[in-house]
Amino acid sequence: MKLSRRSFLVGGSAGVLAALAGPRLATARGLLTDPALDDVIQRALAAATKAGATYADVRIVRRRSEGLGTREDKITDVGASESYGLGVRVISGGAWGYAAAPAVTAAEGERLARRAVATAKANASQMKRPVVLAPVPAHVDVWQTPRTKDPFKIPLEDKAELLLAINREASKVKGVKYVNARYAANAEWKLFASTEGAYIEQEIVRVGPGYTVTAVDDKRGEFATRDHDLAPMQAGWEYIEQSSLLADARMIAEQAVEKLKAPSVVGGKRDLILDPTNLWLTIHESIGHPTELDRAMGYEANFAGTSFATPDKLGKLRIGTPILDFYADKTTPGGLATCGYDDDGVATQRWNLVEKGVFVGYQTTREQAGWIGEKASRGTCYSDSYASFPFQRMPNVSLAPGPKERSIDDLIAATDDGIVIVGDGSWSIDHQRFNFQFGGQVFWEVKRGKKTRMVKDVAYQANTLEFWAACDQIGGPRSWKLGGSMYDGKGEPTQINAVSHGCPPARFKKINILSTNRRGA
Amino acid sequence: MQTESQTRRLLDRVIMLASSGKGTKATATLRGTDGGNTRFAVNEITSSSDVERLTLAVTVQLGQRSATAVTNQLDDRSIDDVVGRAARMAKLAPENPEAMPPLTRQTYIAVKGARDGKTSELSPKERAKAVGSVIAAGDAAKVQIAGFYEHASEMTALASSEGLWAFHAWSSCGLSCTARTPDGTGSGWASASSNRAADIDAAVLARISVDKAVSSAKPRRLEPGRYTVVLEPAAVADLTGELTSQLGARLADEGRSFFAKPGGGTRIGEPLFPETITLRSDPTDAALTASPFDGDGVPLARTRWIDRGKVTALTYDRYWAKKQGVAPTGSPEGWILDGGKATRDELIKGVKRGVLITRFWYIRSLDPQTILLTGLTRDGTYLIENGAVVAPVMNFRFNESPVQMLARCDALTPAVIAGGMRVPALRTHDFNLASISEAV
Repeated sequence: MKLSRRSFLVGGSAGVLAALAGPRLATARGLLTDPALDDVIQRALAAATKAGATYADVRIVRRRSEGLGTREDKITDVGASESYGLGVRVISGGAWGYAAAPAVTAAEGERLARRAVATAKANASQMKRPVVLAPVPAHVDVWQTPRTKDPFKIPLEDKAELLLAINREASKVKGVKYVNARYAANAEWKLFASTEGAYIEQEIVRVGPGYTVTAVDDKRGEFATRDHDLAPMQAGWEYIEQSSLLADARMIAEQAVEKLKAPSVVGGKRDLILDPTNLWLTIHESIGHPTELDRAMGYEANFAGTSFATPDKLGKLRIGTPILDFYADKTTPGGLATCGYDDDGVATQRWNLVEKGVFVGYQTTREQAGWIGEKASRGTCYSDSYASFPFQRMPNVSLAPGPKERSIDDLIAATDDGIVIVGDGSWSIDHQRFNFQFGGQVFWEVKRGKKTRMVKDVAYQANTLEFWAACDQIGGPRSWKLGGSMYDGKGEPTQINAVSHGCPPARFKKINILSTNRRGA
Repeated sequence: MQTESQTRRLLDRVIMLASSGKGTKATATLRGTDGGNTRFAVNEITSSSDVERLTLAVTVQLGQRSATAVTNQLDDRSIDDVVGRAARMAKLAPENPEAMPPLTRQTYIAVKGARDGKTSELSPKERAKAVGSVIAAGDAAKVQIAGFYEHASEMTALASSEGLWAFHAWSSCGLSCTARTPDGTGSGWASASSNRAADIDAAVLARISVDKAVSSAKPRRLEPGRYTVVLEPAAVADLTGELTSQLGARLADEGRSFFAKPGGGTRIGEPLFPETITLRSDPTDAALTASPFDGDGVPLARTRWIDRGKVTALTYDRYWAKKQGVAPTGSPEGWILDGGKATRDELIKGVKRGVLITRFWYIRSLDPQTILLTGLTRDGTYLIENGAVVAPVMNFRFNESPVQMLARCDALTPAVIAGGMRVPALRTHDFNLASISEAV
């Protein structure tokens, strides 16, 4: 029998759900256009239960992406991609099982449910502790990225014209030989339902434009590049319209040329001032990843590694100076990891990871909350497509600004001998998140409170705990800015997560600066 | 999984629809994967998936205008939609003077035994059994063990309005595991991959990872500096992979790569390495899951990129090949760094004071001009003194180039599969281990 969504909810779960569902589902229909999906979900969940699942959830996911690539006066790539499919996740015998396929029909839902249960049963023989999920209210809701202009509805010509205009503008600068401007957007629509009565529909839209300018000195056989620093964002086309991408093209190009001619940095211990366009990535690597609970417990040991922040250190380990408060937040406006509910059906929230420099919190899922004696999940479960098993992924992790208004110029004015870094460059960190080495886009020396000449070939290398212990000044509320990446990898098989990190500029005392210049070696 | 005849019928229909307009040309690519995986950690299975994937990409070309649309839905309506979208976008796309017409009929080299039926059809139970044997070895040795076992049946096909037809089906399989001592001071890793599950010996991998975990526990601190190093095959593959990605002729011709000659031109013909160094690619190497054509359908040939120390070839895509008046190489598959005759023990015996490295981690470019890389050692790093491994040492961050690794190499073992290519273990000198990492 084909059921409508309303009757499925009433029949399939507690009466309170029906009351909740009424007004919200009216909104939901605005997004969801195919009521046949109710039948797919209901039959998949029923088949999983019948086959022996003690818990099951179904995700129907449509992902769209659009990309445009250019070089100089040419369009090199125009592409649009779409994937649609169904994934069924079950627990049976205390073990997980997952099956997914690109056909969204009731028959497929039933087949995948049985397949997932068979896999879970095969795995149960190798379980020592059965999977236990922390309780969660059965949410019925709809959530959508706030936006005014759907980027997928903006004509291709407008996007191409913006990119080519950037290339034209940057190419006017003498010494610039190549410019590659690009645009990417993706939209993730998903419908999540579980045997516990959750029914959640969400649509998340992200845009990520950018460009790279290359200056070449043919005689010396040397080149230098400069990327624009605009962060990708969960937003519509309006974000790009309001950005300074085009207005900055000349300045970015001039900096590429200046970088090519700049002297190499002389290595040594120097004070380091990091712009938010650089610091976000350092936060991602040195605070974001170490506070993933699965990683700290050894679940990522075979790939990404483990963590210095083990559970015995919770509430005790000093990660940095008392001016540092790091928080996780899947509700940050514009944050790439922001959404209404995670892929366990848990409502998203904000909480602290580091308070006054001390490690106090982890990122968790429903499976993980009990591992550290917490009663509820923090809501950080995510899967990157219908075909991927949902697991713990990083929320937006940010550094709170200092209470006093202070800009990067104030940090520079207070510094006698240092280096300022803008933009992210090369990044590498060890598998327990101690030793890291980061580069940047552009670098200037600071002498007696003034930004002086540009230098190049700069990398800073430090140990996470020593680095944050050397942080003595941070910017204020107005200097706080979001950075982020659309392509953070974790897990086997590797899944992609989009995540943002907000921070003010910050100063670090006596950091090891390296020169990466080996030309002529 | 789609058979060749089903795929051909589907793509013929797509091409017919996509190239029906006057002066319209089209290319269609279908990729399929049907595979499973089992993940384990802390001595139990942590997740497991069985997943089917399909991707149909349609490129429509109107003169120099072109665009590509992709879907994973193969019903009639979805095919109409994806063709329509590609056509609409192609009309809107500005002209690209570098656009190449679709390929015509090509001849491909044969890859024998690429698809192994048993590997394609491995069940969750068989995966759990193999993984169970690794977990049992971890339990017996009282170490924590984690890892990943995956297998797949895969296919790629391309067709064009100009007569192109390419089809390749293969199987793939891989198992890796990491053992860690309970005190958290020792970690060991082992990995194997092939197109045949029968080639993968779970017991051997479990033993290597456990042995390395135990032998690397309680490492001592060795001062950072330049050392003679013996790199195991996985470490060699990690760095060689960064070199193979820099072989593009266009970047060299444009003066923005290591292979660009100062003042113009490329470094083809330059003897940059010892005569023992030969880097080649072999698209018929089934165990490397190589393909006889690249993503554009360009036929791949057995090629020597570095021959006895001399750079002999760079990669050309179709546009750059035409512009430079040479044949396109496509994007090579089946990388092989030829080995030598030394044994691993002989490499170690020749070292007065140096470091034995199992593998690297988190490699990133520092300077593309010199292919200078940074990254870390991991899962078994040892001090060698007077020709013998004497103690585990703490991990290092390195700042070094694969160019220098090969230029200073003086001994190689026979090549084995590691990191998806065939590479030897090798000995090289003055390797820059720049700082210490506390990570285990």
